[in-house]
Amino acid sequence: MRRDRWIAITTVVCIVLLWQVAISANGLHAKVPSPLGIVAAIAAHVADGSLPSALRDSFLRVAKGFAIAALIGLPVGTAMGMTPILARAVAPFLDALRSIAPIAWIPIAVLWLGVRGDAAVFIVTYAAVLPLALSAHQAVRLIDQRLLQASHALGAGWFLTLRAVIIPGSIPVLITAVRVSMGFAWGAVIAAELAVGVKIGPGQGSQGIGQMMIETLYVRRDVDTLAMCMLCVGLVSLAIDAGARGLGRRLAPWKV
Amino acid sequence: MEGLIPRIAITSLGKTWQGRRGDVEALRDINLAIGPGEFVAVVGPSGCGKSTLLSVVAGFATPTSGKVLVDGLSVDGPSPERGVMFQDYALFPWRTVADNIGFGPLARGVKRAERLEITQRLVALVGLDGFQDRYPHELSGGMRQRCALARMLANDPAVWLMDEPLAALDPQTRIVMQDELLRIWGDERPADQRRAVLFVTHGIDEAVHLSDRVVVLARRPGRVRAVIEVDLPRPRSALRSSPEAARLVAEIWALIRDEAVDAIREENG
Repeated sequence: MRRDRWIAITTVVCIVLLWQVAISANGLHAKVPSPLGIVAAIAAHVADGSLPSALRDSFLRVAKGFAIAALIGLPVGTAMGMTPILARAVAPFLDALRSIAPIAWIPIAVLWLGVRGDAAVFIVTYAAVLPLALSAHQAVRLIDQRLLQASHALGAGWFLTLRAVIIPGSIPVLITAVRVSMGFAWGAVIAAELAVGVKIGPGQGSQGIGQMMIETLYVRRDVDTLAMCMLCVGLVSLAIDAGARGLGRRLAPWKV
Repeated sequence: MEGLIPRIAITSLGKTWQGRRGDVEALRDINLAIGPGEFVAVVGPSGCGKSTLLSVVAGFATPTSGKVLVDGLSVDGPSPERGVMFQDYALFPWRTVADNIGFGPLARGVKRAERLEITQRLVALVGLDGFQDRYPHELSGGMRQRCALARMLANDPAVWLMDEPLAALDPQTRIVMQDELLRIWGDERPADQRRAVLFVTHGIDEAVHLSDRVVVLARRPGRVRAVIEVDLPRPRSALRSSPEAARLVAEIWALIRDEAVDAIREENG
């Protein structure tokens, strides 16, 4: 395991070095980012506070949109799992909606909510709510019928069964769903900010990391900063995933 | 058992499962009465509907015809009056041993202090001291089985419905648990301090060792083929290999053998 890690690190270091040498050797500077350039861009944007603030704006938007999505999607999906008639009524509708990609909603979201931040929150909510609802539905259906029978035979009504059997029984599936839909949500917020953030200028656009990329592209044309933004998008994705996995371990200790 | 009002009265019970590939008649015209304090085992070849019978009495499935009365009342769903023990225990994986055992009292609205008292008493009764705070996946098969038994007992149900509760145990643990079960049921106490038990099992020797009567079911559809009285004295733990028990086992096996062979042949294609 340790040796594998060293091999991986060595490979990455070699690639980065070769990359830097190649860029320095010929004048591709304007179109291709260089490792040193990215480091400089990070230093500059951290120093003036613009990178942390852009990441914070995007992340808060994801958090807000995701919270709304969870508040709608999880109860709806759980209710679908508990009442098959509701599931049969609603599932085809949700499946149909799912075939429309979140970014296809951007124009109508802008029409309804303007170009500030709310359109992006809407897109995030939309991107996360369907996978959450469908997973919650699936999670309830996957619960061992014997556990539900045991709960009823021990005298539990529907509310205790929901609280003590259905919800804890759903958690392992839901953790996976949260990881996946958080990923969708983060991807959607970047797309939404890119698309709605075309109004340039302080306080005009949507802010966020997507906005920063658009501004960099059209105004400053700084390829190193663009690469820095992409790198940050990836790092935040990893952090979200690790966070959700940690949450899963915390919430489901019986799953070793 | 004559003269006593039965705890469980099953009359002309029929159950047909409706499936996508047509209907399956699982039970036909079952008549059976279980008296207070009586231990009745149900045996039969695969596909004889013994688990279906238990499901109907537990209230998990509704009869297609006939009826099931428990203490004179028609069964129309699960009830804490009828304790159920499942083949694979069906313990709640996210609740500790103590919280599994306390679930029934919690569901019935028993106050916290009393719940703790019940849980502690049962933990001691089934021999799980020191394991209250473990999760089911941290327990051995025999300990899970003890936990499931304690969970059922926490409601002090009038009847015990047990669906192959010892089937998943290794042979030695099974023998230990059979005698544990008898002890907890009240093998050494007078009959009026015992509960009525309907015990479904694959093991003919187990059925003979534990019960007062063995109901032998025939398969496809499940019907009562014979009811064998087990007239062995209690407590039973010393009688494990008595000639009388061996004779009864042989008698019951003779009733089942041909059908059991058929069942195995069908399962193998």
